[in-house]
Amino acid sequence: MAELSFTLNGQTQALTIDSGTPLLWVLREQLAMTGTKFGCGMGLCGACTVHLDGQPIRSCSYPAEFVNGKNITTIEGLAPTEDTLHPVQQAWLEMSVPQCGYCQSGQIMSAVALLKANSSPSDDDIDKAMSGNICRCGTYPRIRKAIHRAAELSVQYYQPATTEVGAES
Amino acid sequence: MSLSRRNFIKSTALLGGGLAIGFNLSGCSKAPPYPNMNATALQPNAYLQVTASGEVILQLHKVEMGQGVFTGLTTLAAEELKMDPALITVQHAEFHPDFRDPEFYVMITGGSSSLRLSYQTLREAAATVAAMLIAAAAQQLNVAESSLNLHDGKIIHAQGELGFADVIVRARGMSAPSVVTLTSPQDFQYIGKYDQRLDARAKVTGSSQFGLDVQYPNALSAVLLRSPDFGGKAKSFDAIAALAKSGVRSVINVDGAIAVIADTYWQARQAASAVKVEWEKGPLAGVNSDALRAERHSLLATESGKNVEEIGDPSAASGVLFDALYDVPYLAHATMEPMNALAVVKSDSIEVWTGNQAPDIALSAIADATGFSREQIRIHNQMLGGGFGRRILPDYLVEAARVAQLSGYPIKLVWSREDDMRGDFYRPNSSVKMSATVEANVVTSLQAKVAAPSIMGQFVGEVSNTLLPQWIPDGLHGKLAGLAASSDPAATEGLIETDYQFPYMRTDYIMQETSIPIGYWRSVGHSQNAFFMESFIDELAVKTGQDALQFRLNHLPVDSRRRKVLKEVADKAGWGSPAAGQFQGLAVHESFHTMVAQIVSVSIEDKKIKVHKVVCVVDCGVAVNPDIVRGQMEGGIVFALTAALKGNISVVDGAVQQSNFHNYELLRMNETPEIEVHILESAEAPTGVGEPGVPPLAPALANAVYAASGQRLRQLPLKLV
Repeated sequence: MAELSFTLNGQTQALTIDSGTPLLWVLREQLAMTGTKFGCGMGLCGACTVHLDGQPIRSCSYPAEFVNGKNITTIEGLAPTEDTLHPVQQAWLEMSVPQCGYCQSGQIMSAVALLKANSSPSDDDIDKAMSGNICRCGTYPRIRKAIHRAAELSVQYYQPATTEVGAES
Repeated sequence: MSLSRRNFIKSTALLGGGLAIGFNLSGCSKAPPYPNMNATALQPNAYLQVTASGEVILQLHKVEMGQGVFTGLTTLAAEELKMDPALITVQHAEFHPDFRDPEFYVMITGGSSSLRLSYQTLREAAATVAAMLIAAAAQQLNVAESSLNLHDGKIIHAQGELGFADVIVRARGMSAPSVVTLTSPQDFQYIGKYDQRLDARAKVTGSSQFGLDVQYPNALSAVLLRSPDFGGKAKSFDAIAALAKSGVRSVINVDGAIAVIADTYWQARQAASAVKVEWEKGPLAGVNSDALRAERHSLLATESGKNVEEIGDPSAASGVLFDALYDVPYLAHATMEPMNALAVVKSDSIEVWTGNQAPDIALSAIADATGFSREQIRIHNQMLGGGFGRRILPDYLVEAARVAQLSGYPIKLVWSREDDMRGDFYRPNSSVKMSATVEANVVTSLQAKVAAPSIMGQFVGEVSNTLLPQWIPDGLHGKLAGLAASSDPAATEGLIETDYQFPYMRTDYIMQETSIPIGYWRSVGHSQNAFFMESFIDELAVKTGQDALQFRLNHLPVDSRRRKVLKEVADKAGWGSPAAGQFQGLAVHESFHTMVAQIVSVSIEDKKIKVHKVVCVVDCGVAVNPDIVRGQMEGGIVFALTAALKGNISVVDGAVQQSNFHNYELLRMNETPEIEVHILESAEAPTGVGEPGVPPLAPALANAVYAASGQRLRQLPLKLV
């Protein structure tokens, strides 16, 4: 058993977990945050991608103890308010990316991390950042377009005049 | 609205509503009540209801697994109700006999048939509701029906508008019209024009609920340890160490598999690795996929098989015989969401929450396994994290129900990726001898001899004992009998009933008896038979020194639908003028009544195939949602590229060797080519698009690889030597 305390989408969480439990199962089962998906359990498909202090990690193979005292952002924490969307989510909608949709939380979290690091990614940059995320429905061409579109939408979002808007700030 | 007023409407409706009484009576006899039945709602058919508050609810009788029915079917209803599809509430329907498919005779999502078979029914169902609302409003306002119109959930009249809620009580008292008039295509507001996906917003915010996401109070997690080889069973097990682990509640033998039950998935999974099991080998121990292929080759050399189709006279097959042997392996579905189901078993009821393509089949399978009756079982379908045919099978629902029944707990059963990869119902492996005779540079015959296991043989064999007496209607009895006596249509579909014309054409099928479990995999027999046929057509074009497009056109009748998509794809892709350093390949295939042609552009570097671009033309009748049609073609192409370049499930000693995405790789972003989709204009009724994008890709790619390298690759996945 281990005591775990971390910030999840801006809210402090404190709970007891079995040592070694991957963050994914703490999120999904103990905190009922089911937007983050289980796909492979080996960090091979990216469906479980969340942000640890803004960096993408594979939560299915990341021991939850390691996030003690840190900030975790999941798909549920991306949009600034309930009625608005993050620019990446907005671009995903505009390009009608999702089919079955199961992998898209992970795809979006990877894309958000890419755009934070690189506000105007090339196709090669997208290949490098997104090839760890599998989509069995084959939405890759639309994901590519949506990332380019999100780059346009994000200019305002990431470089606001005064204050930071994102939930991860 | 106050509670008292709500109750008043409810009791009034109960007393005065002929519909509700009728439903209750019919509930006692053969036809069960409509799903989500509500005594205060207008509900003249199983598909649609308008609630007392005016909400329009569509019972989605096909499951959403990415293919777009959530939007497409809703659009059909919206068209007749003249309201924005986004204003309709959509619910995955529970089983009802009215949702049984007119061709499959069961409630099932498959065969790229949802839109095609619902196009008339669903518009009529919605038009009926629309007519009743209009009639009620006309009565209420004392005006002519013709003076009223529906618009976005309102009834518009000369002086203003009424809400649906305002007329619902009156509408419920009316009888449904026996004939309705459907909107003319030239007046369509949504069909062919609507370009959103109604399920998209929830899927980009993480709020969309899949089977794996369902929560149930005090449900425990279960994982199953299954025999490494198919059909093997646990002889004995030692769970002492496992039971001592954190959170573990119980370890039990469930029908030959060992269920480990714990508070959480991770605890169950950790404990499972501590269980020692002694396995009794199953009937497939010793079976290897390489040996199965050798056996098929031997069957092709020695057996004549059963004739499936013969056109023309054998004497027309004059000239020199030319033949070629083709092979494809087993493939896994590998849906992103591993199989899972949540089951709650009580003394007189079973409820299951999951994503499944064929609840009708699952109800019977669960009934048979648990001893409950179908009527005691409810299946609550959720969004499917991919289906592709895998979720037609009820195995994982049955497992969850049995673990819940035997353990006494509400159970959420979750498969690992490894369970999923090794416990699939695979696309059959298949070998085909394609042959032709050529005289004076003219092809005089085209023949195919198929050796493959039979999906239908396995499927019917598995379900007939338990299902046949209970629910299969007379129509299917005949069909099943025919199938049993005849060949499996899935084994030869795409090779037969083609509109290519040669003086003599023949297809024979030899059923291979031994196989690991096989099932329906996106585009089924077409997934391999298009590869055989369209590659061999290319071989014949080369052999007779003709252009691949011209050769096809020369052997198609003037009215063939293939001609249109071929000419269009050649035009759009610039057939014959590839980009510098690239080579083109062409294929065309009809499946599920939809015609698709594709041209693939490749280059080759260090014996590696690089796919640059795929141009696709589809003729699917009216494209109800053109953007979803394009998405399905794109997705089908990516799915097929995985199969053509990577897919291979191998079997050693009755066990699948692949386990996860490192050794069963799926195409990734960096390997995905540019894809361009064009939809042919059409006034015909819509046909399916979920599967037909898959079949032409492998042969178009193989033909491009031949153009680039001179190597004719007759085996998937494609590997240059």
